[in-house]
Amino acid sequence: MADEYRYQGTGRNLQKDMLGDWFQRLSQAPARGEPVAYLFISGNIAELLSNFGFHLVYPEVTALQCGIKKTAGNFILKAEELGYSPDVCGYVKNDIGLLHSGNASPMGKLPPPTLLVCNYSGCRTYVKWFEALAEFYKAPLFMLDVPYRRDDEIDPGDLAYVTGQMNELIALCEKLTGKRFDIDRFRADLADTAKAEEYWVRILESARRVPSPFDSYFEAVFFMAPLYTLRGSPDCLRYYEAAWREIEERIAHGIGPAGEERFRVVVEGPPPWPHFRAFWEMFQRWGVVAVASTYSKVGGLFDQGVRHDPARPLESMAEYCMNCYTNWNLGLRRDLIRRYLEDYRADGLVIHSVKSCRSFSVGQADTREVFSNEYGIPTLFIESDLADPRYFSAAQLRNRIDAFFEGLAHRKLTGAAPARPLPVLEVRP
Amino acid sequence: MIAAGVDVGSTATKAILIDENRHILARSCIKTGANVVKAAERVFRETVETAGIEEHDVTQVVGTGYGRYKVTFGHAQVTEISCHARGAAYLFPHTRIILDIGGQDTKAIRIARGGEVEDFCMNDKCAAGTGRFLEAAATTMALPLDEIGPLSLQHRQSIKITNVCTVFVESEILAHLARGRSPADVLRGVHLAIAGRSVALMRRVGLDPEITFTGGVSRNVGICAALEEKLERHLNVSPDSQYMGAIGAALFALDRALTGHSPAAAAAGA
Repeated sequence: MADEYRYQGTGRNLQKDMLGDWFQRLSQAPARGEPVAYLFISGNIAELLSNFGFHLVYPEVTALQCGIKKTAGNFILKAEELGYSPDVCGYVKNDIGLLHSGNASPMGKLPPPTLLVCNYSGCRTYVKWFEALAEFYKAPLFMLDVPYRRDDEIDPGDLAYVTGQMNELIALCEKLTGKRFDIDRFRADLADTAKAEEYWVRILESARRVPSPFDSYFEAVFFMAPLYTLRGSPDCLRYYEAAWREIEERIAHGIGPAGEERFRVVVEGPPPWPHFRAFWEMFQRWGVVAVASTYSKVGGLFDQGVRHDPARPLESMAEYCMNCYTNWNLGLRRDLIRRYLEDYRADGLVIHSVKSCRSFSVGQADTREVFSNEYGIPTLFIESDLADPRYFSAAQLRNRIDAFFEGLAHRKLTGAAPARPLPVLEVRP
Repeated sequence: MIAAGVDVGSTATKAILIDENRHILARSCIKTGANVVKAAERVFRETVETAGIEEHDVTQVVGTGYGRYKVTFGHAQVTEISCHARGAAYLFPHTRIILDIGGQDTKAIRIARGGEVEDFCMNDKCAAGTGRFLEAAATTMALPLDEIGPLSLQHRQSIKITNVCTVFVESEILAHLARGRSPADVLRGVHLAIAGRSVALMRRVGLDPEITFTGGVSRNVGICAALEEKLERHLNVSPDSQYMGAIGAALFALDRALTGHSPAAAAAGA
């Protein structure tokens, strides 16, 4: 029976190794004279840039790693010394503070950019962030303007607008690197990506089981990393083959992330990275499993049918760019959360609102109102920040979390029905 | 059979003893101070002495409030949100909405008929609209805290207090006084400002005809008047409203003593 649990820990450990190797390659890039592109997670065009041999830097990932490794606080203070307001996004200030500290991140020294690609325009602050970096590094900035998902259907004009810009970017990359765009490699990479996405969806949808073998928030933040950062490399697909084996093994043995699963929740909003473990423990002690989350969709709504397609390389990539969670309008987000609550048989909704990220937090108060008052879904609203450790008040958070699950426990034991009947949901794209 | 609830709040620590018929045997309230563990012990001992019993006569103790885990002799911990709901539902069985204003927290709680919490909203990261706001006003005007409520009722006009910050409101109050406005008029403005914030919080969980007002600030007649005026309805306020959390905790403790478990207390890991 020694090999009964052969794959447990694979998902967490393998991605950690992959990220470690990636940051090491980044630190070596300048000495090797290899080009480096900076870009954002949401709707990133990793396969397109790696086609030209670019190493990829995601300042958001750097910021969240600094948060987890507890160095973000000092970088944020450094940026505030330089005049950035306390109200500016903590990710941005982490990056600016890091930049002015010699770019020595806890993961290694980060290389300067050869090219900056602002591929997510749903957040105005992000545009300004890359403008500041372009000014500082005197590096070219390519603005890939991705239209917001305003309607239920994507406007064909919007798609053509994005693919048109991608063609311009390809020409720029050819000029900067002296390499020709290799469409065959691009198609092959997208085929691998699509396979990795299939595995990722299987992992996410395993949480429909009761009890769930997977936590789609607290574990997903690790399991999603390769797909959101290292697409276009063969390691990415291999990772998801291995990660799926871990989940299959959990299903076969009936094990899950929570010990005894007592509550199933859907989580909206990013985690507080500087206090990630303490935050998770506040839920673990109640036997809570996040069976679905919106944060795990910031790098693509693959469980909603989004796929890269080698037969339609640029078009499918443009569709992907537009179908990341924070690029969806509030109504689409609301309906997605509604479907998650039903499809994953969740007991309630947890909204973690972060001060930094307006792409998430704008509208969350309304979301709370709709779910609690109109749909009668038990909804917990808590606040802190994704990067700035100063906004995490442990006693207040714990009090709210405890009160919420006390109420849910009370309801389960008394068999109390939801406060109001659920109205029929009509919109289902 | 005797059960106890100990509510360790940010400002005051309260304890209640009840018997198996849910009659209150003793109550005590002291300032929490710096030593939270000692405050919990002292307030509990006071109730035991008042009731003329021994500590070991108390079968079950439930701790609540921010310092609930500092009630070292407690058998279980339940949040004050669940406890205020339980206490209010016991004293006012038809109430569905509870407003609790404490030293640093304001909470609006919606409960189901059985007293279980359906929804709640709280002030966040800021003491504006809490008891601390009133304390700041009283200190600025060099008045005892107990007097500002009655004094506010003697207003002739009300002054609009625009500052929501507990710290900055002091300079706004001083500016009004310097302009010759009466303390009663200024205090009326302060009380209306808190009432306005509280009503906004209650609207988020939904307003219901029967509202119960709990917590230390509910002893302030000025706030009660300002709230009733804004809500255009009567509020349930018990003479024991400051003890509501402790009463709820004692009821959970009695459940445990009688049945060996209670839904919320058991859920809280009891």
